Amino acid sequence: MEGLDASAVDSPEARVARRIAGSAPGEARDAEAELYRLLAPRARRYGLRHLRDAHAAADLMQQVMALTIEHLRNGQLREPERVLSFVLGACRLTVMDQRRGERRREDLLQRYADAVPMADLCIAPRLDHQRVADCLERLPERERSVLVMTFYDDQSSESVGRQLGLSAGNVRVIRHRGIDKLRRCVDAGRRTR
Amino acid sequence: MSATPNHLSIDILLDYWLDDTDAATADVVDEHLMQCDACGKVLDGLIALGDSVRVAFRAGAVSAVTSDAFVRRLAGQGLKVREYRLPHNGSVNCTVAPEDELLVAHLEAPLQGIERLDALAQLSIEPGVQHKLEDIPFDPQVGEVLYVSKLAEIRNLPAHTMEITLLAVASGRTREVGRYTFRHRPWPGH
Repeated sequence: MEGLDASAVDSPEARVARRIAGSAPGEARDAEAELYRLLAPRARRYGLRHLRDAHAAADLMQQVMALTIEHLRNGQLREPERVLSFVLGACRLTVMDQRRGERRREDLLQRYADAVPMADLCIAPRLDHQRVADCLERLPERERSVLVMTFYDDQSSESVGRQLGLSAGNVRVIRHRGIDKLRRCVDAGRRTR
Repeated sequence: MSATPNHLSIDILLDYWLDDTDAATADVVDEHLMQCDACGKVLDGLIALGDSVRVAFRAGAVSAVTSDAFVRRLAGQGLKVREYRLPHNGSVNCTVAPEDELLVAHLEAPLQGIERLDALAQLSIEPGVQHKLEDIPFDPQVGEVLYVSKLAEIRNLPAHTMEITLLAVASGRTREVGRYTFRHRPWPGH
């Protein structure tokens, strides 16, 4: 975790965190909104990866950001420049709590509801599904099979390989080629619109 | 670890998303993503692409050779699956019901010893046109090719016959492995 903080002492996140910590509680609304804008998408991404559910990830994001801002306001985060470490740690603890079945989310969300600035976020890019379907149909059979089986329910290379009689390494090579072609095709479609 | 000194490669991000990394690497990626929005946006793009693949397949807009385990999993998730099992060189009368969400053909075939498999599809409503599927994935131990059709397209087709020929390819030569006939009728009233 030292690396995360060492490279982030002078980061925009650390500067905004210091502003919140240096103000009277609730007096740095702009800075709080800015911190939310910077860190909420990262917390949500962490939630998506580790919880595999968009709603649970959104809840985690709100909970972690509320907790972070509350700690900064109250001076409980004594080194505000370590805000990235704090957020990552809070993400990890929240996911662990959820996995243990200790569902404290509602509790925490209610407790810290006022602390969340709820800045507008633009999180995920929107893709034209028909374009993606057309691009998938242009892929070689093997690549299309691997991508469909990989992404339909986020299967690892080992699992897909076992089902198609391929090695995990081979699936990763095919997956890499397929993703590369698919991204190019979808991007080309975007540019021509 | 990274493609450039400062950013993660697409492969690392994809492995991370699909849980194809060890725990230590996942921790390092978690840390990186907590401070790098550029990599975060690339990951968002991959996630969105994956979502779109799922939506397209779920809508019956994409065909694919898959596995029985995959189809069983989708059926277990509640998808209404219509399956046709064809013995070697067999034929079947087939259709698509309004409530069907996945259309699957199991083509039994002797696949032992085959290195590469192609398939030719011909539809009676497209005289003279051959659709070629090259290098389709298969497990020789399983003894069948499992093909998920573009249900959205087939749903709108009139009555027709489709013939699929499986071809083993070796040293530039092809050998017929099996021939299968589907006699399609639209669902009454559709």
